[in-house]
Amino acid sequence: MAMKTDVPAPSDSGPAPRNGGRRGGKRPAPAHERGSLLERFVRNQRNRPLWMLLPTGIAITVIVIVPVIITVVLSLLNLNVSTLREWLGAPFIGFKNFVNAFTQPNILGVTLVRSIEISFVFSILTTLVTTPIGILAAFSVHRRFRGSGVVRAIYLIPYVIPTFVTALVARIAFANGTGFVDQILGDLHIANRNFYWLIGPHAFWAMQITEIWATWPFIYLLALAGLQAIPKEHYEAASLDGATMGQRLRHIVLPELGGVLKLGMLLSTLFHFGNFTLAFVMFSSPPPPSVEVLPINAYFNAFSSFDFGIASAIAVVTMVILIVPAYIYIRATRISEGG
Amino acid sequence: MSVTASAAAGARRGAGRRRTGSRTTPGSAAEQLMPRWLTRSVAGVLVVVSVVPVLYMIVLSFTPNQNVALGTISLAQLTISNYTSMWSAAPLAAGLVHTLVIAGASALLSVSFGLLAAYPLTRFKFRGRAPFMTVLIGVQTVPGTTLVLPLFAVLSWIQTTLSTQFIGTYWAIIVTYMTFGVPLSTWLLVAYLRTIPRDLEEAALVDGCTRFGALRRIVLPLTVPALVVAFVFAFLVGWNDVLFASVFTNSSTQTLAIVVQRFANNSAASLPVYGELMSAAVVSSAPVVFLYLAFQRYLVNGLSAGSLTGV
Repeated sequence: MAMKTDVPAPSDSGPAPRNGGRRGGKRPAPAHERGSLLERFVRNQRNRPLWMLLPTGIAITVIVIVPVIITVVLSLLNLNVSTLREWLGAPFIGFKNFVNAFTQPNILGVTLVRSIEISFVFSILTTLVTTPIGILAAFSVHRRFRGSGVVRAIYLIPYVIPTFVTALVARIAFANGTGFVDQILGDLHIANRNFYWLIGPHAFWAMQITEIWATWPFIYLLALAGLQAIPKEHYEAASLDGATMGQRLRHIVLPELGGVLKLGMLLSTLFHFGNFTLAFVMFSSPPPPSVEVLPINAYFNAFSSFDFGIASAIAVVTMVILIVPAYIYIRATRISEGG
Repeated sequence: MSVTASAAAGARRGAGRRRTGSRTTPGSAAEQLMPRWLTRSVAGVLVVVSVVPVLYMIVLSFTPNQNVALGTISLAQLTISNYTSMWSAAPLAAGLVHTLVIAGASALLSVSFGLLAAYPLTRFKFRGRAPFMTVLIGVQTVPGTTLVLPLFAVLSWIQTTLSTQFIGTYWAIIVTYMTFGVPLSTWLLVAYLRTIPRDLEEAALVDGCTRFGALRRIVLPLTVPALVVAFVFAFLVGWNDVLFASVFTNSSTQTLAIVVQRFANNSAASLPVYGELMSAAVVSSAPVVFLYLAFQRYLVNGLSAGSLTGV
């Protein structure tokens, strides 16, 4: 953060002025080293307008970085409805919020450990299921055919429908007895019509299925972009050498796709981990305990029981869990982008 | 929420080396990756799976409330009345206006900020450039719930200190959406500006154009497509959000997503009005789907195109 704010400083450009001063005897100093400090700054900014970074730099600092720090501070304070407004003066209680979050169930009867479990299973399972689907989907439209444009457009639909709409449709589709899931399962005699998808332990699976339906095109998009990046000549060379379809897959496609897919799986897991909307909209409020993912747990602690200290502690725990994948993601992105 | 944008980051690696490729010409047999029967069955299954829930939503949106509640849906009873009655059942029109104002304003601000920052980030080498870029990527991994709590605490503290109302106003929610919009659009525009050759500007500079003149006359016109893409993505963040809107809006600013979500919770109570709820759902998603499909080639390519060349 500190490094960011000093970016626009005038000293960023060119050699330091004192060297210019010493050399001044023999030849005139370069244009950008003449004049007062202010003049130099103005001239520098005209040639290299680094001030243009300021709005974004300030915005990111004020509305993202500072709030993240404040979350950490809040997690160490004793906060409730009355102390929240003057949270700067709230009593410091160390790690008590963390202890409470881990040991005591929230108003919905879910402990933090249980929420972590649910979030992990939910996000990793979704990624594991959507990855092969996305790859197959990309393979199926990689080669143009009549109507492939339409198929590509349809593939995008589950992904582009807003999550809150998907959640509402799922709420009705999984409705007990009257939704089309129960009706089809009942008609096929696979399950009882009264499966109760939206309450109790089945709710988790209803949410899981919905998330998979809605997000597989993410991997598909990445895989397709990766496929299109493979030069055609590679395939042609391979087919001249008489490579079979399997050999083409193994030696040309998978090595090229590997990096994109690893990054995609990481991103997708990060994304599912933070999905608040699906569980919040799909079920009645408050949602059943089996879908209580970390964001839901933090939200209801904060805005139902107004336990902001515990909610912040949960948010901090979430961030700590995400540090490793976030670090890998940042590194991978930095490398692929060449510094 | 911002995954679409992150797709840009992910796909960045390879794309562009060959952007034309199979997009314009039919693929040759050498490019075939699966037997034809498998290709066809995969495409068939996925198309059906993708379309059925959407058709279900559309059929329900034309079905009377009580039939949806009882699960007795028949194509003979379809009616358009949900689409006329829903506007009085919930404040949908107001929600639509609020969403347009909020998402539009935050997207406009985000894209302006992003364009300003992307230019020096792609044109100059300076101390702090690398950390700036790292922070830009890093903040995109911060989950929404980690931001909603402190923003609420800070805003309610400001309210108490200045004794004004801030939470519930347009500004509160516009600022919170910029937490996603600014890094997102900066990132997209950095990826795009990198593909615009510097020679163009340098030629203009030699011809006596100022830095700013070159930016305005040369770079800006070429960047319009990327600006549109960045605007659309930043706009959709606001359109799709529920978390921030449920905390920072009140009845005079609530967005369409919140109106629809509350409508669902209220209508579950006694007499379910799920038919009207589904017509509201269709109205909430149709613009987004059309926007994406209209920009489809643009978005997918624009997303993945960005990066690479400058590397």
